[in-house]
Amino acid sequence: MATQQNCALPPGFLLDHYRVERQLSLGGFSIVYLAYDQDGTPVAIKEYLPNSLALRAEGEVTPHVTEAHQGAFRYGMKCFFEEGRALAKLVHPNVVRVLNFFRANGTVYMVMQFERGRTLHDYVQKNKGNVRERFIRGVFTRMLNGLREVHAHKLLHLDIKPSNIYLRADGTPVLLDFGAARQTLLSDTPILKPMYTPGFASPEQFNSRDALGPWSDIYSVGASMYACLAGSSPQRSDERVKHDTVVPATKAWAGQYSPHFLATIDWCLQLDPLKRPQSCFALQKVLAQRHREAPPQQKTWLEGLGSRLKTMIGRT
Amino acid sequence: MRFTIFQESRVGKRRTNQDRVAYSYTRDALLLVLADGMGGHLYGEVAAQISVQFIAQSFQQEARPKVSDPVLFLSRVLSNAHHAILDYAFDKQLSDVPRTTIVACLVQEGVAHWAHAGDSRLYMIRKGKLAAQTRDHSRVQLMLDQGLLDAEAAAVHPGRNRIFSCLGGNHPPQIEFSRGVSLINGDVLAICSDGVWGPLDADTIVGTLADGRVMDAVPKLMNEAETLGGPQCDNMTLIAMTWHDDQQEDIPDTVSTRTMPADAYTTQMEGFGRSKRDQEDLSEDEIERAIREINAAIHKFK
Ligand SMILES: Nc1ncnc2c1ncn2[C@@H]1O[C@H](COP(=O)(O)OP(=O)(O)OP(=O)(O)O)[C@@H](O)[C@H]1O
Ligand SMILES: [Mg+2]
Repeated sequence: MATQQNCALPPGFLLDHYRVERQLSLGGFSIVYLAYDQDGTPVAIKEYLPNSLALRAEGEVTPHVTEAHQGAFRYGMKCFFEEGRALAKLVHPNVVRVLNFFRANGTVYMVMQFERGRTLHDYVQKNKGNVRERFIRGVFTRMLNGLREVHAHKLLHLDIKPSNIYLRADGTPVLLDFGAARQTLLSDTPILKPMYTPGFASPEQFNSRDALGPWSDIYSVGASMYACLAGSSPQRSDERVKHDTVVPATKAWAGQYSPHFLATIDWCLQLDPLKRPQSCFALQKVLAQRHREAPPQQKTWLEGLGSRLKTMIGRT
Repeated sequence: MRFTIFQESRVGKRRTNQDRVAYSYTRDALLLVLADGMGGHLYGEVAAQISVQFIAQSFQQEARPKVSDPVLFLSRVLSNAHHAILDYAFDKQLSDVPRTTIVACLVQEGVAHWAHAGDSRLYMIRKGKLAAQTRDHSRVQLMLDQGLLDAEAAAVHPGRNRIFSCLGGNHPPQIEFSRGVSLINGDVLAICSDGVWGPLDADTIVGTLADGRVMDAVPKLMNEAETLGGPQCDNMTLIAMTWHDDQQEDIPDTVSTRTMPADAYTTQMEGFGRSKRDQEDLSEDEIERAIREINAAIHKFK
C-alpha cells in the first residue's frame, strides 16, 4: 500500500496534561501511546492520524495536511468522533473505558484506561494449536458480556477479531477498537487503509447492509473462535458464499475438542444470518455450558427463532 | 529529462466528472496516469480517484529517482490499485465494487512503457504519424478484430462502451503491457478517455498533436470533442507529453528535470474535487461541539 510512515510523538512529550511514555501501536488511522497523567496513572491515548492524509515528519509535532486533503482529514475526524461517542456511552468491565477526549497539535485525541496484557491474537500465535477449550469458552463468554452491552446501546461493533480482543493479565477480556464506525462514512477522498483481514466479517457486511444485526457480530465471534483453533481466520465470507472451502470445526478438530463446542463454532459461522445464534445471550448460554454430550437440537429452536427474526430483518 | 506536458479534464454535460488524470516526475522518471470511472456503476469516480492517487503515490515512493523495473512496477501498482478498490468497497460495505479504466505510462532512461485496462487510450505519435496505439478492451474492438464490424459501424454501435477489463469490479483485470519504446526527440505520447476519442476521428487527434505543441493542441482537441459531443457530452480528459532531447536549447514551457534533487518529485492532478457530493466539512465549531458532547457523555456515565 502506498502509505507513508508517520512519526510518533517522542517519549517525554507533554500532551495536554499527559506525558507520553512510548508508542504502543501504529495503525492506518491512528497511533496509540502509553502515557501518564499528573498523578502517574497510566492511560492509553489514541491519536487521530490517518497516514494517507496527514504526515508527521521526524521531529515535528503538528502533522502536515495538504490543502487538497483538508476536507478528507476533517471528514475522517468525524469517524474518530463516532468511535468516541460510541465508547463514551459504554461503561462495562469488558469494554475499554474512555476517560477523556481533547484537541491538540492540529488533531484530536481519545484517552482510554490503560489495559495491561496482550491481544487474543498474540496469545493464539504464541500458543498455536494448543489453545484449550476451557480458555476459549471463558474468554468468549465474558467478552460477550461486553458485546451485549454494545448491542444494548443499539450499536454494532463490526470489527470483532482476535486482534481487537485484549486480554488483561488476569485473563479477562476487553473489547478494543470501535473504529468500525468509520466504515459507514463516505468521503470523496477515500482513506486508504493498510492491509487487514476480511476473514472475520460476516457475508452481510460485504453485500447487504440492511441485514446487519447482532448476528453479524456473532459471525465474527465464531470466526474468532475458529481462528483460536486454526491459528488463522477462516476463508473470507464473500468467497465462502461463492465456493465454501471452510472445513467445519466439527470435522477439523473432532476428538480434540468437545463436539458441543465445535458445533457451537460452526453454528456461529453459518452463512445464513438466520441460522446463527441471534443474540449474544443465546450464544453465551451455550458457551457457558460444560458439555461432553452432543450439541443442542439446533433445528427446533432455530425454527422458532427464524420466523420471528425474518420479520425483524424485513422491517429494518 | 526534458519534456513538454499538458493535461486537461472537463466534466462535459454530465453531473460529475468521473475522470481522473495525473502526472508525476522525478529527476529521472516520468509517470502519466489516467482513469475513467464507470458511471453505470456505484462510485465510479471513487474507483478512478483511488487508482490515480494510489499509482501516483507509489511512483513517488519508489522512483528514487527511478523505479527498479518499469514493467514490474506497472504490473504491481495496477494490480495493487485494483485491490485498493476492492478494499474500499469492503470497508464501505458496497454491494457493487466500483470500476474504472486505467492507462499508466512510465518513461525512464528514454524508454516508455505503458499498461492499460479498458477503453481509455494511449496514442504515440512520431514524425506526424501514428506509431502506436492501445487496443480497447471492449466488445466492439473484439468484433472489429474478428471482422464482424467496420470502423464506421463501431463508432455508433450501441455496445461500444462495454468493456471487458477494468480495475475494480468482480473480476481480476486483464492488463495489457506495451513493449519498451525508445523515445526520440519530438515524439508525442497522448492519453485520453473515451469522451475525447469517441467524438473525434484518429486523423484529427494525430494531426492536431503532430507538431508537439501540446499546450495548444490539448485545449483545441478538447474544444472539438466537446462540440461534437453535443448535449450528451461525456467527461473528457486528455494528457499529452512531447519528448525533447536533453541537449536542445531552452524551449519555452518545457520541463527540465536535470537540476532536480534525486529524491524530489512533482505531481499534478486534475479532475479532483470537481463534485462536492456529501463531503461536508467539519467546522471549527462542530469539532469543539463534538468534543464537548463526548466529554459530557464520559462524565455522565461515570
Ligand atoms: N486501552 C488500551 N490499553 C492498552 N493497549 C491498548 C489500548 N488501546 C489500544 N491499545 C494497543 O494498541 C493497539 C491498537 O489499538 P486499536 O485496535 O484501538 O487501534 P488500531 O487497530 O491501530 O486502530 P485503527 O484501525 O483505527 O488504525 C492494540 O492492539 C493494543 O496493543
Ligand atoms: Mg485494531
